[in-house]
Amino acid sequence: MIKIDKEIKSPINVGLFVTCLADLMRPQVAFAAVTLLESGGCTVRVPREQSCCGQPALNSGDRASTTEIAKNVIRAFAEDDYVVAPSGSCADTLINKYSTLFRHDAQWAGRAQSLADKTFELTSFLTEKLDFNLEGVSYPGVCTYHDSCSGLRELGIQKQPRKLLAGVKGMALSELEDSSVCCGFGGLFSVKYPDISGRIVSDKCAQITQTDADTVIGGDLGCLLNIAGRLRREGKRLKVFHIAEVLAGMTDGPAIGEGEGET
Amino acid sequence: MTSARDEILGTLRKSLAAGDPRTLRRLEELRSRIQNSEPQVQPRFDDDLLTRFCQKHVTVHGTYDRISGDGIEAAMVRYLAGLGLDAQWHLGSGPLLDETHWTDQVFVYRKGADKDTKVALSEAFAAVAETGTLVLCSGPAVPSSQNFLPDDHVIIVDGRRIVRHMEDAWAMLRDSGAASGRAINLITGPSKTGDIEQTIQYGAHGPRRLHVLIVEQT
Amino acid sequence: MSASTSSQRVEFQERARQALSDVSLQRAMAKARGGFVDHRRDAVDALPEFDAIRDAARDIKDHVLANLDGYLELYEQKVIENGGQVHWARDADEACRIVAKICKDAEAKTVTKGKSMVSEEIHLNPVLEAAGMTVVETDLGEYIVQLAGETPSHIIAPAVHKTREQITDLFHEHHSPLGYTDRVTQREALVNEARSVLRERFVAADVGITGANFLVAETGANVIVTNEGNGDLTSCLPRVHIVTAGIEKVIPSLDDLSVLLRVLARSATGQEFSAYTSLYSGPRRTDEMEGPEAYHVVLLDNGRSRLLGGQYQPMLRCIRCGACLNHCPVYGAIGGHAYGWVYSGPMGSVLTPLLNGFDQAMDLPNACTLNGRCKEVCPVRIPLSDLLLKHRLEQHDRRLNTNFGRFLLSAWAWLARRPRLYQGVMALPLWLMHRLGKRRGVLSRLPGLGGWTDSRDFPIPARRSFLRQWHTHKARS
Repeated sequence: MIKIDKEIKSPINVGLFVTCLADLMRPQVAFAAVTLLESGGCTVRVPREQSCCGQPALNSGDRASTTEIAKNVIRAFAEDDYVVAPSGSCADTLINKYSTLFRHDAQWAGRAQSLADKTFELTSFLTEKLDFNLEGVSYPGVCTYHDSCSGLRELGIQKQPRKLLAGVKGMALSELEDSSVCCGFGGLFSVKYPDISGRIVSDKCAQITQTDADTVIGGDLGCLLNIAGRLRREGKRLKVFHIAEVLAGMTDGPAIGEGEGET
Repeated sequence: MTSARDEILGTLRKSLAAGDPRTLRRLEELRSRIQNSEPQVQPRFDDDLLTRFCQKHVTVHGTYDRISGDGIEAAMVRYLAGLGLDAQWHLGSGPLLDETHWTDQVFVYRKGADKDTKVALSEAFAAVAETGTLVLCSGPAVPSSQNFLPDDHVIIVDGRRIVRHMEDAWAMLRDSGAASGRAINLITGPSKTGDIEQTIQYGAHGPRRLHVLIVEQT
Repeated sequence: MSASTSSQRVEFQERARQALSDVSLQRAMAKARGGFVDHRRDAVDALPEFDAIRDAARDIKDHVLANLDGYLELYEQKVIENGGQVHWARDADEACRIVAKICKDAEAKTVTKGKSMVSEEIHLNPVLEAAGMTVVETDLGEYIVQLAGETPSHIIAPAVHKTREQITDLFHEHHSPLGYTDRVTQREALVNEARSVLRERFVAADVGITGANFLVAETGANVIVTNEGNGDLTSCLPRVHIVTAGIEKVIPSLDDLSVLLRVLARSATGQEFSAYTSLYSGPRRTDEMEGPEAYHVVLLDNGRSRLLGGQYQPMLRCIRCGACLNHCPVYGAIGGHAYGWVYSGPMGSVLTPLLNGFDQAMDLPNACTLNGRCKEVCPVRIPLSDLLLKHRLEQHDRRLNTNFGRFLLSAWAWLARRPRLYQGVMALPLWLMHRLGKRRGVLSRLPGLGGWTDSRDFPIPARRSFLRQWHTHKARS
């Protein structure tokens, strides 16, 4: 489905940073990422020695635990040419946050920097590192795209997913007003302050339902679980998919938050 | 007991790791930075100054009239008649106003405004095209209360004193020795508030309307 | 976990809950939210140089902070040359004492105030009122909250949380005794009534107290920016003018002022320039017919000097424009009062713990999704969300967070560092939740997840994790 017409050193060895949410909540996102990367000419490796990027610990102020988790991740992906994550938030942690952990450890700081240099969020890797054409993928429907905050503001991911979605046949994109406003997830924030988080995601869903979209797409599972959970609570029948699933044509099964046999 | 001043400055110096011995020299450095201060990044625009000033002034809900130096009284009478007001006003001071001879058709009060003042006529020190702003300076015959208490404020400005950027007005103020004057009021449109339902309402505490008379020299 | 942090935590959560269920507040906030954001965006889009000016604004503030002692001295010299007096206050109490003494010496009966966040910070009004003075807030928004017996909920829109109906009730209650017996409901009529009531106060005032957006070392001026003109009437009419300002407000020159003014109004309200930007330098000159007889500046430290040279120094760049509040989803949801102190939103969550300590502000740095929009819009490029994260690191390092929370976190982190074990341990709950919810795809109640499921369903996890599937599959093939 992805045709390479750029001359790249091959094979491209990519380590997939699965992200804990894709791993536990929505494995299909990771399978979709593998499919996309492989059809883009990459050889994908999935290190067993990975769990989480450590963001929950870092955002809770636990530098020591984050540092240990970071070392694990750095070790696990030491041999890959590139590391790709289907999440702007987790990629941001690897790219921008790890380096702040090793200010007093030159050796690990260097290793963190080389990880940062080779790590990409999925859609930016597909558009910036691989020259591609999306062929034969269709999704009939009107979609709206939610820009997740870390990817948008820390990694500048905004055009990349839209460029990719433009290649999907049958899809119309209906832009969401305030698509760049936080959905209220914020990781542990939504557990620690569920009332505030609930209000923010309600507002987000109100805006979503003001579009004529039947599907919400995004690049970060945390936000998508939050949005899907709220839409389900409101009884709204919109489908919610991770962009990797849509691009890989894996949209036949239940969408996020849908039950078996609901599709 | 150390004074609050010494203690605060002491904490600052300790936090900045800048000891007292360097203070005098540093003060001189800072003073010279101020004295050699220059404009930094400025918005670029190509319109001529008068056009830009008028356009910006209208954007902020102001009105204006372009007149000649001998048409000030007539313009005032015309403007006030349009509002259904008598030809009387509190009068400020400035090169143009001071030269004007008022006929006995109008009443002018050379004093500060009070809470019932309807109209005041002031002269701007300069105007800034960038933002449509009028620069007014207090002075012996220039009560700044006239800028804020009347319902209608009319400001006269010499067209040649419309400058491009704010910094150009600062330069004029410095040259004339007025930069440290008691009050420098930059006025951009009439008084307004958004405090009720975040919706703009004009005439909050200050003038409800702002009218500018631009005097063009022939 | 100490008792104070425990009760404070409950307080924040409780205040937030109240705010979320306050229908009027939610209606007012919903109405306000879009306007500020849209206006700012239009103003920024219309100025191609905006980002370059923001960089310049940040650099000016950084330069001042690196030389703050020197600029304060130069500023002080100028104020004295202009015939004014400068007072230094180490903390809120000292500042209140200074202001109260000036007012008493002036035999003040009525004191008008132009919007001053510092006077809110030091809780000045009760001190003056206790001394028998009538204190009148003159910014329309501050006047409204004063009538309501509240404090501002926003730096530049103090009454943003009030609906027109509530304002109608307040005015009717407080203005009827003054002869305004008609109950006015329209915006224009409400503004006119306040104008007319406050006009009497302006001319009756003995002392006027204003804040300062900037203090200019070049000329000794305090700069006050308003749209209503209330700051000017407060500065010009009374016999005594008192300026209260934080020590970080000083800037070098008028040219520096231009840079900061170009980002201030655009960031605050989306205006290019506010209606009134005024520079006041000292008392009435000998040849003048009006102006205050005395001019005082009270420079407040209150914890600011400690922040210099440290990791939170960038917070002292803040010019109090309110853009971070307007763009914060949490502020938009709960309003300003839930934050518990004068400063709210992202800047408040950074500043309050710095000035008051964590005792009363444990929640503030945590009640944030770290979405970074505040940092994106800040006119002086304060990395607000990064500073909030620094607070969290400090709370953790100082063991201020709850023992239970720390235990859960370290247990999870211990597991996360052992991926194979982690995958094994996660298998059972995964399977269980999947089993329970696979028909509907969601669980409507999940007790372990705080109140997550109070307002939304929880999409169920996969039956088996990706890593297990992938590596089992690989092992087979």
